[in-house]
Amino acid sequence: MIDFDTGLVISILASTLRRTVPLLLAATGGAFSMRSGVIDLGLEGMMLAGSFFSVMGAWMTGSPWMGLLFGVVFGIVFSMLHAVMHINYKVNGSISGMAVNLLAAAMTPLLLTIVYGLSGKSEIVTSFSNFDPDWLMGIPFLGPILGSQNVIFFIAMALVIISWIFMFKTTLGLRMRMVGENPHAASAVGLNVKAYKYFGVAMSGALAGLGGAYLSLGQMGMFVKDMTAGRGYIAVVINAFGRYNPFGALAGSAFFGFFDALQTIFQSVFPSQLVMMTPYVVTILVIVFGLKGGRSPAGTGKHVEE
Amino acid sequence: MRLDNLKSSKYSNMRSSVVNSFFALVFSLVLGAVFIWVTGYSPFETYKAIFGLSFSTIKGFALTLSQATPLMFTGIAFALAYKVKMINTGAEGQLYAGAMAAALVGAYVTNLPGIVHIPLALLVAFIAGGIIAGLVAIARVYTGASEIILTLMLNNVIILFTSYLANGPLKPEGSGVGQTERIADSARLMRLVPQTQLTIALLIVIAVAIIIQFMLDRTVFGYELKVTGNNRRAAEVAGINVSKISILTFALSGAIAGMGGAAMVLGVNYRFIEGFSSGYGFAGISIAALAAYSPFGVIPAAFLIGILRAGTITLSRTTSIPIEFVDVIQVLVIIFVAAPTMIRQILNIFKRITGKKKKNEIAGGEVQ
Repeated sequence: MIDFDTGLVISILASTLRRTVPLLLAATGGAFSMRSGVIDLGLEGMMLAGSFFSVMGAWMTGSPWMGLLFGVVFGIVFSMLHAVMHINYKVNGSISGMAVNLLAAAMTPLLLTIVYGLSGKSEIVTSFSNFDPDWLMGIPFLGPILGSQNVIFFIAMALVIISWIFMFKTTLGLRMRMVGENPHAASAVGLNVKAYKYFGVAMSGALAGLGGAYLSLGQMGMFVKDMTAGRGYIAVVINAFGRYNPFGALAGSAFFGFFDALQTIFQSVFPSQLVMMTPYVVTILVIVFGLKGGRSPAGTGKHVEE
Repeated sequence: MRLDNLKSSKYSNMRSSVVNSFFALVFSLVLGAVFIWVTGYSPFETYKAIFGLSFSTIKGFALTLSQATPLMFTGIAFALAYKVKMINTGAEGQLYAGAMAAALVGAYVTNLPGIVHIPLALLVAFIAGGIIAGLVAIARVYTGASEIILTLMLNNVIILFTSYLANGPLKPEGSGVGQTERIADSARLMRLVPQTQLTIALLIVIAVAIIIQFMLDRTVFGYELKVTGNNRRAAEVAGINVSKISILTFALSGAIAGMGGAAMVLGVNYRFIEGFSSGYGFAGISIAALAAYSPFGVIPAAFLIGILRAGTITLSRTTSIPIEFVDVIQVLVIIFVAAPTMIRQILNIFKRITGKKKKNEIAGGEVQ
């Protein structure tokens, strides 16, 4: 049986935070994409690309920071496929988003074989260590929870705040939201609609790539085939659940992160496959019953003719 | 006169989509050549080996067709749902559900003659896939939930749940891997070529393609389905029950994918084995795109991809060209088919280059 004591609560909460980070980064990225009027269905592929290329970057350069940069850059590269197909060639955003996901799912195992000659997983690379100075660990309860997070956790928290300020407190953010709500009006007042959409998609690629890098480089120090396991799709739902707001994404990600964290505890009691189903079942329940009344930006998927 | 125009426009549409698909495949193979080149092989020799396999021996040809069979099921499934502008990314899960259903009927319903046992197993798989997709469509129509996310999440749930069954309550004693009891001999599909995996499943899926194509072109339901897909609002105004049509079409799409799973169990593996599908569900998207979303066009499209798969499987035994190579080609096909303007632009660049060459030659001739 499971004993509920402080130690267990601390480990559940610490694990919740670790599982929140990749979802949060991807969902915040998705908020940029959706606010600029482009559907964020490609998050899964951008995340997967980020998790593969961050490990490859760290493997090539020996530096986890360079790895992180690789993850972000290749997240953007994959997001550009979505952007070019959807914004320039006016392909349905769901199709172009899925194209990104399928391309990443097909290319990462292929590159794994070509680069490492291994199938299934990469070699182990230097990873980030936990940020646990004595003063932090000394704080009761909170100390050990925050002390078991690495530096990307703190970067992610800062990015959520910066993203919120950008979207809701700056002129550029206001313009981006205007493009997302009504591209025709935005175009009429002289805004470059395509540029804002490209920016939104590139931000989603960068943040989702960072989220993917957290999964591989930040947690395991290696890449495993299909390691995002649908987290990008869950992030799409979290983003809608959080009303395309970074703080909403934070709340949603913590909710899903908690269910994800519970898995590890219940796997000793129930068959692992049944326990692993929980995040997906919760996602289905949220989509069907939890998104009523929400609406996506009115201009989603609309194009402006020049 | 007007009828003639209509016919010729339909014909030219078909021709332009065939041209489009052809160049999409060619460009994908050219880009794929880069990957072959990176692994250190000659792209030309590799493609020659891949395409040669299917046409040099009967066994190679049978392998191609048996590889193509499950892809035909999932391809038709995607193409059909796309006719009402719904995206069935759940073929993978529906395939697993159908496979599990057929494996249960095949193993535990016994003492039936083959002529009853096989259709029964197929029917149960059809129903299993249909119910799952039908529920997704109901959620889509009444709550507006994205069918893409729903089916993708359900894929994970179904794959994990069937894996639990195959590793837990349904696991035969002494089995080392996750699988179910062997099906009865009466449930096995007849082989078309001895000692290969090519079975009458191929004939079944061709029949399915013909029936679906006939349904689309010649029945009231098919007509209403196409009107719904082309313009939902116009369909509503015309008094078509758009919700009913969408739900039924999506359920039928899932049911066909479910039959694909049954075909794998009854014809190839003779039991449910966890992880048996090597991405058949997602390959269906590529095949439907290559077929320009025509259910009957899926048959030749799946055959083309089947050539690639069969050739690469055989080649991967002796070389280090991995089987994932075909997955990348499949995605490239989706990308090119989705953006026909991209194909036209690339062709224009080619024309300009070759055009310039000709001009240069003429210019050169004048100098001489």
